[in-house]
Amino acid sequence: MMGARKKQKTYRFQGGVHPPEEKLTAALPTEAMPLPEKIYIPLSQHIGAPAVPVVKEGDRVLTGMVVAEAGGFVSTPVHASISGTVTGIVDYPHPVGRNMPAVVVESDGADKLDEKITPPPDINSLTGEEIREIIKNAGIVGLGGAAFPTHVKLSPPKDKPIDTLIINGAECEPYLTADHRLMLEHPEKVIGGARLLAKALGVTRVLTGVEKNKMDAVQALTGATGSDVAVVPFAVHYPQGAEKQLIKASVDRVVPAGGLPMDVGVVVQNVGTAAAVYDAVTDGMPLISRIVTVTGPGIRTPKNLRVRIGTPLSEVIASCGGLAPDVRKVILGGPMMGNAQFNLQVPVIKGTSGVLLLTESAAEVLQPGPCLRCGNCVRVCPMGLTPLMFARYTELGMFDEAAEFNVADCIECGCCAYECPAHIPLVQYAKYAKAEIQNRKRKAAG
Amino acid sequence: MLSAILTLAGLGFLAALGLAVASRVFYVKMDPRVATIADILPGANCGACGYGGCGAFAQAIVSGEGKIEACSAIDEEGAHAIADIMGIMYTESEKEWAVVLCRHTDGGVANTFDYVGISDCRAANLVGGGPKACPSACIGLGTCAAVCPFGAITMSADGLPIIDPNRCTACGVCVAECPKNVIVLAPVSSAVSVHCSSEDKGAAVKKVCSTGCIGCGACVRVCPFEAMTMENNLAAVNYSKCRVCGLCVSVCPTNAIRDHRDELKVRKIAVIGDDCNGCTLCARACPVDAIAGNPKEQHTVDPARCIGCGICADQCKRGAVSMITVDNTEDEASGPATVVGGGGR
Amino acid sequence: MGHFVLLIISAVLVNNFVLARFLGICPFLGVSKKTETAVGMSMAVVFVMTIAALATWLLQTYILIPFGIQYLQTIVFILVIASLVQLVEMVIQKVSPVLYQALGIYLPLITTNCAVLGVAVLNIQKEHTFWEAIIFAFGASLGFGLALVLFAGIRERLDLADVPKSLRGTAIALITAGLLSLAFMGFAGLVK
Repeated sequence: MMGARKKQKTYRFQGGVHPPEEKLTAALPTEAMPLPEKIYIPLSQHIGAPAVPVVKEGDRVLTGMVVAEAGGFVSTPVHASISGTVTGIVDYPHPVGRNMPAVVVESDGADKLDEKITPPPDINSLTGEEIREIIKNAGIVGLGGAAFPTHVKLSPPKDKPIDTLIINGAECEPYLTADHRLMLEHPEKVIGGARLLAKALGVTRVLTGVEKNKMDAVQALTGATGSDVAVVPFAVHYPQGAEKQLIKASVDRVVPAGGLPMDVGVVVQNVGTAAAVYDAVTDGMPLISRIVTVTGPGIRTPKNLRVRIGTPLSEVIASCGGLAPDVRKVILGGPMMGNAQFNLQVPVIKGTSGVLLLTESAAEVLQPGPCLRCGNCVRVCPMGLTPLMFARYTELGMFDEAAEFNVADCIECGCCAYECPAHIPLVQYAKYAKAEIQNRKRKAAG
Repeated sequence: MLSAILTLAGLGFLAALGLAVASRVFYVKMDPRVATIADILPGANCGACGYGGCGAFAQAIVSGEGKIEACSAIDEEGAHAIADIMGIMYTESEKEWAVVLCRHTDGGVANTFDYVGISDCRAANLVGGGPKACPSACIGLGTCAAVCPFGAITMSADGLPIIDPNRCTACGVCVAECPKNVIVLAPVSSAVSVHCSSEDKGAAVKKVCSTGCIGCGACVRVCPFEAMTMENNLAAVNYSKCRVCGLCVSVCPTNAIRDHRDELKVRKIAVIGDDCNGCTLCARACPVDAIAGNPKEQHTVDPARCIGCGICADQCKRGAVSMITVDNTEDEASGPATVVGGGGR
Repeated sequence: MGHFVLLIISAVLVNNFVLARFLGICPFLGVSKKTETAVGMSMAVVFVMTIAALATWLLQTYILIPFGIQYLQTIVFILVIASLVQLVEMVIQKVSPVLYQALGIYLPLITTNCAVLGVAVLNIQKEHTFWEAIIFAFGASLGFGLALVLFAGIRERLDLADVPKSLRGTAIALITAGLLSLAFMGFAGLVK
């Protein structure tokens, strides 16, 4: 059986860096976190319109019940992740950095599941359309971090035919191991979910990409799959897990500038998303929890935790032994692309793959110097851009010239800033330039 | 000798002929006024007029589309010169300047996090709305100072922009670039502004700033000219109605409304002429008790107390009260002020 | 044939009119802020130089020398050049108003550009034949264009650099021009 399968060819993408892997929690099995007392479910946890609440203060909710409905086509519903009483819909700190509306539920400790949650009668006879409907109602979004509503990704327009589905198990960010543990502990969910996604898209070619530092996961997945879903190991090369780079490395297709994977006939989904799809279809379970890696030198006991959506960060940290005394920086996500937080009351949302706590030495602030024109940033950019040019033009406030250097194609992976010997905040310049260019376009349009 | 003259004359004639033909073939209509007007314009290309630069604006003026008043950087002489060239009327509008509606340094607004990154307010604003505890506060990294085409803005040591009224031309670039929109344009004579931009409720404002507007409405109630507006928990001065009497400044509980009258070079005061019949209407209407006089006798205005609000002039039925502009540099104890400007209101 | 190739290489690289002969510095410094305007200016100069060389050579050979009025050389040459520049101005204004605005005063200044008069006079001095004169003028203008575009490219990048306050603007531009000139000295001896 093994010998008959031919080895899948992989390709190289340009640029990229090799930060230390720091997978401190790779061998730690996922633990279930004790239920929080209160959860704060933001109405906006995904790309697209915020969800619209359907509950009010005083309402009693059960685990898995819808608390807010989708606010449009590119939107998803949000569900209660514990049972209890709604204490209100308030403006609450959100990981993006400002207060946003959130549904607050006070737990009754029972964690009673909503009776309406039942698996569909015959899973194998479900059509692609029905699968997409289940995914939408389950509130599933891309769990790799981008949080794009999955059912929308599975509904490309007719003029963009899809022939390949890629399941993303690369997890190229240092420190994060949530996807690794999922693939090890529930490979059947990942493969099962992949099959359901393939059906929803109507494709036959499915491959799961995993970096070579997770060969045990590759084995686990290979054992759970048949010939329909290929499991392909990739070189450990950041950002292997970025959509466009993964597509280039697996099927050697280049997504055009300003385009999307569907332009080259591919759809990419994270392994966590695939597993959530499996749960939704097989058990009728909506997205109410996810695996979060709590790691870094700033936490006493690093862990992989299964956390209910809406749990405040402070409680997550408490269940990992609390903060180390010299902790300096708290990042949601990985060290390359994560967002630093200043308020530990922010809740875990659907896209929170990890909490990284760094100490003074790990989060050292380096003073930026002048650009040497060394070209490191150009060499490592996986999108083939010239960060030194648009960063300098942005610094001088010349945003039109910065736009000419394709800053709009920047995926903000952080490779350039990582390699810059002058410690110039190149990614911040890219984000700043993008925001200003959008701003000016909007002002010009009136 | 002859050959020299003939050669030169012949060549000259040929060249002239050729160029005359060419000028017909390549004829381009050009209005010479565009160049003259472009020379008069300040040449700063600040964009306040709404056009791409002084050259484009000159073009627009000549085509009739652009109004001279749109240029805020030009001086009176230049504006009149352009008006003469075009044969149109030019009405002077009151000079404006930029005012920063925030005093977070006085209010003790703390930072919620250490911002480490590009020293630009627009960039810092992308990180959770900036490091200040008040979401509407000036971020203080100096973007306005950097973009000002006239060098009119400097940053104070603790992070607030200081605007030089002599250099500011109210071009509006700082207003457009400030990511928190705390800068507004106000008439130069309008010395009173509400220095807060926070629309949060009073309790929320007090938690982070001791000099922010808490939306109590005291200023709205006390203003005799209905020049204060209150919208979304934030008071604002309606500069077209404000008579700079300063009553709002005295009632504001958090000192959010500030008074810059002492910084102005000139001020208005009331003067009562001989037509006065002693009816005492003006004295009773004066909010600061600056008018003295017995009934049926000539009334006088104390220039030191007079705040130039003009209520008395409104009240007087005989037109005996006129408003004049005086020098603002003398101290309160001295006699009649040096008259600088003419009469009229 | 080889003779003409050497003539062009000499005019463009070895004895570059701007960087080796130091003629035509005015537009070199004035129009080299942006590469687009530099290219536009170069094309104007190519046209003027080549036609001017042609016309002046013909005039010298068939009118000035036969009638013995060589002393009118300077006046006659300037007359020809000025007319050509006027023509070019009219054409550019009609065809590309944007370029016309961008070149500004430097377009009519081609008239007094010593490089153009220099080419005409050099042709006579070196006793070039008809074709040599044309090729030499064409090469000279190409060299002028090359120096201009190169310098414009460098100046665009110079705008991004942190130049000390005292050296900003013309100062650093002149230093750079000097360095570019030094670089072109590397071609010395390529053609005898």
